Amino acid sequence: MNRILSTSLVAASCAALFAGCASSPQATYVDPSGNRTLSNVGQINIQDWNMASETMINSLIEKQVNPGRLKSSGPDGKSILAISRIVNSTGTQIDTDMIVKKIRIALLGTGKVVADITAGLGGAEDPLAAEAKREQELLGNKKIAARPDYTLSGKIIENRAAQGNLRESTYVFQMSLASSDGLAVWEEEKTISKQGKKSAVSW
Amino acid sequence: MKIQLLPVVLCAAVIGLAGTGCNTVNSTETAQPGYQRNMVAEKRVITDSSLSRKVQILGINATEGPGGFLKVQAELQNNTRSLHRFSYKWEWFDLSGNLVEGPTAVAVTRQIEGKETMFISGIAPSPAAKDFRLKLYENAK
Repeated sequence: MNRILSTSLVAASCAALFAGCASSPQATYVDPSGNRTLSNVGQINIQDWNMASETMINSLIEKQVNPGRLKSSGPDGKSILAISRIVNSTGTQIDTDMIVKKIRIALLGTGKVVADITAGLGGAEDPLAAEAKREQELLGNKKIAARPDYTLSGKIIENRAAQGNLRESTYVFQMSLASSDGLAVWEEEKTISKQGKKSAVSW
Repeated sequence: MKIQLLPVVLCAAVIGLAGTGCNTVNSTETAQPGYQRNMVAEKRVITDSSLSRKVQILGINATEGPGGFLKVQAELQNNTRSLHRFSYKWEWFDLSGNLVEGPTAVAVTRQIEGKETMFISGIAPSPAAKDFRLKLYENAK
């Protein structure tokens, strides 16, 4: 009798254990601004973009926006910002909007800066807005819009190192803000280094 | 002979391993600092006592710049003798107590050596943000 009871208990425990383990293949939502997103060596992950943009935004606000150093020719005394070239010097294809867009969102949120999306090196970011602006100027409904007060440019550099089974990736995010006379008025650099064993996934 | 050597080798290995994991930080500073910090009276809610032992908040000071942006700086100390990784996140609130969201409200991962003190700082995303909360997380492994 005792043997039957103990066998049943063991079977029930095993069933419960396997039922618990079986739930892993389901997808789980994670907070992209938290610290539970996946990160690995050899790739710029969401936490890296978050940390780099946080440093850039804080530095821009602290050194330029908060002391009132930005000159402004835009509407309501706001500075006009245009985005210049962000060079990708890493070995992987990346979308630099992962950092640029966050900076723009934050600067617009300060209420001191507006972004010109009709000016850009590869053409207007919003072609329809550029067309509308041109038409307004041609019709004389609007005076010729002010040129951007500032342009934002940057570079992302990658450096890799290996020692035995250990891999290290370093990403350097460099950004500059230049005034309309071509002088850099703000520069910042953020370096992010990650180490891990080959093909290891870390948190 | 082999039997006598084994405990000695084991002890040396254990001491060696313990030594590599406990690199603490020596520091020096002026006895009479030339600055005066505007320290903030804080209320702490500690749910992870293990983390609070490893990364302790020594104090928080805040200043407001000419543009009305609040800048907050927290001094942290690792009370243990070993390196720890942690994350922190700043949350900002307006005068009505509403959360002011922005791209800077993200977890930033840092590491702190044994017995090291360090500063972390945050700047309000807009002049409307007049209050803050600092969250510390033990890094998930």
